[in-house]
Amino acid sequence: MFLTRSEYDRGVNTFSPEGRLFQVEYALEAIKLGSTTVGIQSSHGVVLAVEKRVTSTLMEASSVEKLVQIDKHLGCAMSGLVADARTMIDHARIEAQNHWFTYDENVKVESVTQSICELALRFGESADGGEAKMSRPFGIALLIAGVDENGPQLYVFSETYNLNRFFYHKVSCRSVSIEGFFLGTYTQYDAKAIGSGSEGAQTELQEQYHKSLTLKEAQSLALKVLKQVMEEKLNVSNVQVATVTVQDGFRILNEAELAETVNSLA
Amino acid sequence: MPYDPHPNHEGFLNSVGSPIQHRFNPHTDNGGTTLAIAGKDFCLVAGDTRQSEGYSINTRYAPKVHELSNGSVLATSGMYADSVNLVLNIETRLEWYKHKHNKTMSATASAQMLMTVLYQKRFFPYYVFNILGGVDEKGEGCVFSYDPVGCYRRETYQAHGSSAALIQPFLDNQCGAKHQNIKEELLTLDQAMKITKDAFASATERDIYTGDYLEIFVIKKSGVTKHKFDLKKD
Amino acid sequence: MALVNLNDVLSFTGNEEDSAFDDAKSSCMNFETSLNFKLPTFSIQNLSDVSDIATAPVDFLKQQMSNENNSRIAIKKGTTTLAFVFQGGVIIAVDSRATGGAYIADGGVKKVIEINPYLLGTMAGGAADCMYWERELGRRCRLYEFREKERITVSAASKLLCNIVYGYKGMGLSMGTMVTGWDKTGPGLYYVDSDGQRLKSDLFSVGSGSTYAYGVLDSLYDYNMSVEDAIELGTRAIYHAGHRDAYSGNTVNVYHMKKTGWEFIYNKDINELHYKYAAEAKPSTLS
Repeated sequence: MFLTRSEYDRGVNTFSPEGRLFQVEYALEAIKLGSTTVGIQSSHGVVLAVEKRVTSTLMEASSVEKLVQIDKHLGCAMSGLVADARTMIDHARIEAQNHWFTYDENVKVESVTQSICELALRFGESADGGEAKMSRPFGIALLIAGVDENGPQLYVFSETYNLNRFFYHKVSCRSVSIEGFFLGTYTQYDAKAIGSGSEGAQTELQEQYHKSLTLKEAQSLALKVLKQVMEEKLNVSNVQVATVTVQDGFRILNEAELAETVNSLA
Repeated sequence: MPYDPHPNHEGFLNSVGSPIQHRFNPHTDNGGTTLAIAGKDFCLVAGDTRQSEGYSINTRYAPKVHELSNGSVLATSGMYADSVNLVLNIETRLEWYKHKHNKTMSATASAQMLMTVLYQKRFFPYYVFNILGGVDEKGEGCVFSYDPVGCYRRETYQAHGSSAALIQPFLDNQCGAKHQNIKEELLTLDQAMKITKDAFASATERDIYTGDYLEIFVIKKSGVTKHKFDLKKD
Repeated sequence: MALVNLNDVLSFTGNEEDSAFDDAKSSCMNFETSLNFKLPTFSIQNLSDVSDIATAPVDFLKQQMSNENNSRIAIKKGTTTLAFVFQGGVIIAVDSRATGGAYIADGGVKKVIEINPYLLGTMAGGAADCMYWERELGRRCRLYEFREKERITVSAASKLLCNIVYGYKGMGLSMGTMVTGWDKTGPGLYYVDSDGQRLKSDLFSVGSGSTYAYGVLDSLYDYNMSVEDAIELGTRAIYHAGHRDAYSGNTVNVYHMKKTGWEFIYNKDINELHYKYAAEAKPSTLS
């Protein structure tokens, strides 16, 4: 497979004769190696759940940070090359604060997602009037959760997803096969899984998700889905859950709250 | 020798040519008065239409109250050229915002934006005294008053321009219930219209820079209506 | 002329502004004009094409705002503000008058700027300068919180503000502000002005009426005073300044900075305070 591609996968700015950008497809592979991350939108708020890969007993589990806050009403979960996400998250935070500075209002979830996408396009050689941020595509996928005047929303950002805005119940989300390279685009979902266990997790979400989920039910569902695809046994130290609600904004569940949800699964 | 309105009295030498300092003086005050009053579910923004420079009237109809595309109304007094430019600048931003965020900018958001727009020209200011009127997210009337470099505050009533010092005390009394033994209450639209017309008619009597026509914009959640009245033309 | 051209002036303010600026610049690369919508930029009058007028932007602005200019840009000025540290935290008291020349442009100005729940700034000098840069300070403090996962100290926040305005030194900014807050080290109070001066102390008063306020504060201030007494002292000092200084007056706003963040205490009319204080028995210090 790599032999046939080798002519055209040396640079990020060379299309193959079939019209593919292999480096971008490889970036997608990097995301597939990432830890499983689940996001579920309910009418009360959005739930984000991540698997923390605690690879050693000597590792301080709390130092693994895969859920981050962007603004009071915005947060995100990441999967893939976590270091790449740092740049994007700082960019999103600045975007959110600049919006507040100029307009004295919270930035919309979609707008901040859009600005991340703009950044994601800035790899390769610099074009006129702009400077490249990265020499290669970002190997990261993000679940961006937030609340704004349109209610709780969940967006998925990834280098190579199709531009079409679709909901998981209309289109099977297992069709993550790449139809076209609309680089750095975003899609809105009711429920979405990314990372290594995403295929199994997405099937599970497809079966279990319904519109009338409460926030608590969404939390349980997210963990249940994670539990099924995780290699290790799920416990309070190898997962992390955050919620975004109108009342509290973005909030990472503390250990007691997490334990309560984890125990309710058994 | 041409008439010098500001002769230098420092010495007789002046008449045989002491240095005369020239300065780059881009700002002119084109006069005129603006006013805005916020009500429970409306906002009234008004301005006269006279435009003058020194003792001569350039035109009797140069509107200085501008309806913006987001449903707010901006009243500008000070230098007319700067205000035209400012309105253009703001309209561009409103349009960009609409494309970027897929919604029209709220009155409060445009109020904050106007501050940054004005402050960006802190070192070569827009010589414009602005009042922004609109209806906020709750449907209540809102008035924002600015200095030329962007300091702003939400008020319930405000007058700016050449007759500000004549009208503002009147508004303090009539809208703000200052020095009356009554509680301050928001005016009805009918009251606000009457007060505005009286204020401008009276200001026209005493201020050479105010007169000709009065334009009143009434902003409600449902939209903006414009009224035009005559003022004295002498 | 945008901020890019000012970068040599600003470069020492640190990497943060640069990275923020680059981010803004890069995120709108497709549209040149849209850069203006992202970040504050400043236009400065370019006078090089008017060769016979040797006027630098600073002189130009000074002239535009001078009293001699008949179409002058009267910026709201004149103030009394004070803040002091005592055993119960920090008391911040200010008047509410804004004057443009001799005209009282506004009698209800909020001269305490709520930067965030743990930081307050006061307003003296150019109202817009204080308002704008303290908002910018709020933006930076928020980013600091996300990046460092802890609240910024008052010391660091005041230094940020100080560095920002120092970048514009000599260009005509006018700002005399007290930055107060409560951080991991306890209550903090710093004075920052547009000359680039930054001072730490337990007691400050800034503005045209500050001398009157200092008189009252110095005679009655005591670190161990109760919260009620401290609030009353702040109010009294502003009252006396409002009474004697024509550029100060209208109302007093008082804030109390506590461990849990700031609390707005009250807004009182100086005219009503006058009759209240006049009815009180005078202290017998001279007898």
